[in-house]
Amino acid sequence: MSYQLKSEALTMFVNFFYKLKEVGVPVSPTAFLTLQKALSLGLVTSLDDFYTSSRAILVKSERWFDLFDQVFAYHFKGVELPDYEGMELDEMARTMLEAWLQNSGELSKLLGVDESALNKLSPEELIDYFKERLKEQTEQHNGGAKWIGTGGYSPVGHSGYHPGGMRVGGVSRNKSAVKVAMDRRYKDYSQSGPLTQAMVGEALKRLRNLIPVGPKDEINIDETIYQTMKNGGEIEIVFDRRLKDRLKVILAIDNGGWSMDPYVHIVQTLFDYAGAQFKDVKTYFFHNTVYSNLWQDPARYKKPQRIDEFTRFDPETRLVLVGDASMAPYELMASDGSIHLEERSGMPSLNCLKFLADTFPKSVWLNPIPASMWDYTRTIHAIRQIFPMFELSIDGLEQAVAHLMQK
Amino acid sequence: MVDNNSGGKFGGATRYVLDEELAKIVNISMALEMPLLLKGEPGTGKTMLAHAIAESLKMPLIVLNVKSSMKLIDALYQYDTLTRLNDSRFGDSSRDVSNIEDYIKMGKIGQAFTSDVRTVLLIDEIDKADTDFQDDMLDVLDQMEFDIIEIDKTVSAETRPVIIITSNAKKDLSDPFLGRCNFHHIAFPDPDMMRRIIGVHFPELDNELMDKSISAFYRMRQLDAIEKKPATRELINWIRALTADPDFKPKQLAKGDLPYLGVLFKKSPDYARAQAAVNGRRLN
Repeated sequence: MSYQLKSEALTMFVNFFYKLKEVGVPVSPTAFLTLQKALSLGLVTSLDDFYTSSRAILVKSERWFDLFDQVFAYHFKGVELPDYEGMELDEMARTMLEAWLQNSGELSKLLGVDESALNKLSPEELIDYFKERLKEQTEQHNGGAKWIGTGGYSPVGHSGYHPGGMRVGGVSRNKSAVKVAMDRRYKDYSQSGPLTQAMVGEALKRLRNLIPVGPKDEINIDETIYQTMKNGGEIEIVFDRRLKDRLKVILAIDNGGWSMDPYVHIVQTLFDYAGAQFKDVKTYFFHNTVYSNLWQDPARYKKPQRIDEFTRFDPETRLVLVGDASMAPYELMASDGSIHLEERSGMPSLNCLKFLADTFPKSVWLNPIPASMWDYTRTIHAIRQIFPMFELSIDGLEQAVAHLMQK
Repeated sequence: MVDNNSGGKFGGATRYVLDEELAKIVNISMALEMPLLLKGEPGTGKTMLAHAIAESLKMPLIVLNVKSSMKLIDALYQYDTLTRLNDSRFGDSSRDVSNIEDYIKMGKIGQAFTSDVRTVLLIDEIDKADTDFQDDMLDVLDQMEFDIIEIDKTVSAETRPVIIITSNAKKDLSDPFLGRCNFHHIAFPDPDMMRRIIGVHFPELDNELMDKSISAFYRMRQLDAIEKKPATRELINWIRALTADPDFKPKQLAKGDLPYLGVLFKKSPDYARAQAAVNGRRLN
């Protein structure tokens, strides 16, 4: 049976293609044409086939698989599942039951109900209860029944409570493509979102690029002899890159306030692991922003170091600041802005930051807050004028490293 | 435009357990005559797939193991100057010294192109080579021909081989490269699958050790902040180590006493972390 490309279907595929592009999956028109070819060859006879083949042809990295799944589930919702609405609640309720069995305390807290009351229910009753709750939820908050995103379509955002985790392959599946897409098997491969402990290995590989490349000024003797012979005796000298000294890194982490808590440890683990590749990693701490001191002890009490003294360090040192850059504007702008009394230095924090940026021309600010939210915070905007800011995510780290290595 | 005499569809070989999704992707790539790029952690059977395709379609398999120092020309052909020099000095071979073609030997890609029957060409661990190599190679595979400069001859492929390319790298290959391939990512086997894999390697293994070691293995894989997670190969070696130890009892594993962690974790920070996690669990 060959797949008939009716104009309606074509529009659907074109829309699907643009939706992928819109949410940031790098899809190329050539790949789209290849997909059309596959369709016209009669290779695709069902939505299942379409799911598999369109992913293989359009998406070239597993990091986009999760996003693809979400767009697919959204776009082809209802194509072969007219009772999708009911099914969706069932799926979610089942997922919630699983979560309940794993950790009843956490879920009841999320739902805001008494754990012991639900404990009396049988699994069937629990499922029914969850379904009721879900119906309320969708009516109250979303106004529709799309399970992705809240109050509209946003595949990049938080996609609801889904503890099912990644399903690993190797087993034949007998679920529909949309359901499989809804499983979000590739969530763990997606590289957006702030760094987690599980991503450290991956992030490390990005950091490994933080090695200097020297000029091509060392003679490669073997290659020179070879090329000279090949040239019929005319001397041809071949140069190699000189290995330059390893880098020095100053890491300054905002460890004040609960908003930074989850990230402090991750960033430290990251640089601990990578320690050997650097000549020297110095770690300092600050709260919200930098005034006249950075602290060597996490409690920010015992070992202050005046930032004036940082001029003694090699200006080639890479300065990496990690913080959410979110605070009250006066903390940044006012000359006595620090919320800590002992830190009243008379110089606004903004100037201190500028001083650091001037001392170390190669510096970046890593922010765990997603880049899309940066415009909403005034202090982020102000700090971005001083330091190039990148997301504390795998992608952000990659860009930050590229920036630090620029000539 | 489907090449109908290229044999049937691929449905899995005798010893390779294939998931349905992957089989579809292989078939589509064959029909579209596009290379299939497979990524995934080591130990997910990327290389095995090419062997399985060759076996099930009864095509000869040609393997090009990519090395970091490799130049594209090595994969295409070699001009054996040394033999020619030798022949011209001693002249006791059946080769004709004045005919350079006698001294051209085909590389792996060349062999796939000149083969009489359709072949499966496995290009293993493409990520080891540099980007230029990758792009140039795809050009050759795209055009299905290359020139032998020494004799000014163009070699073009009789039949387009089924091309499977594997990559271990987490980093993406270049865009032009990706544009010419279909892509699939093979996930790490789940515990059930792993039981089958281990069963093949240790047919005699008792069930208790199998269960306990596999569940301990997956627990250890879930440790946070590990740079190199243990893969199938490490598990197999670990089980080998456990079975070789006469004092070892499978019950230890359930209690969280995991000997020979060094077999699973080969980087020292990883090892330290795993050790700490194991000790922590035992104290609790």
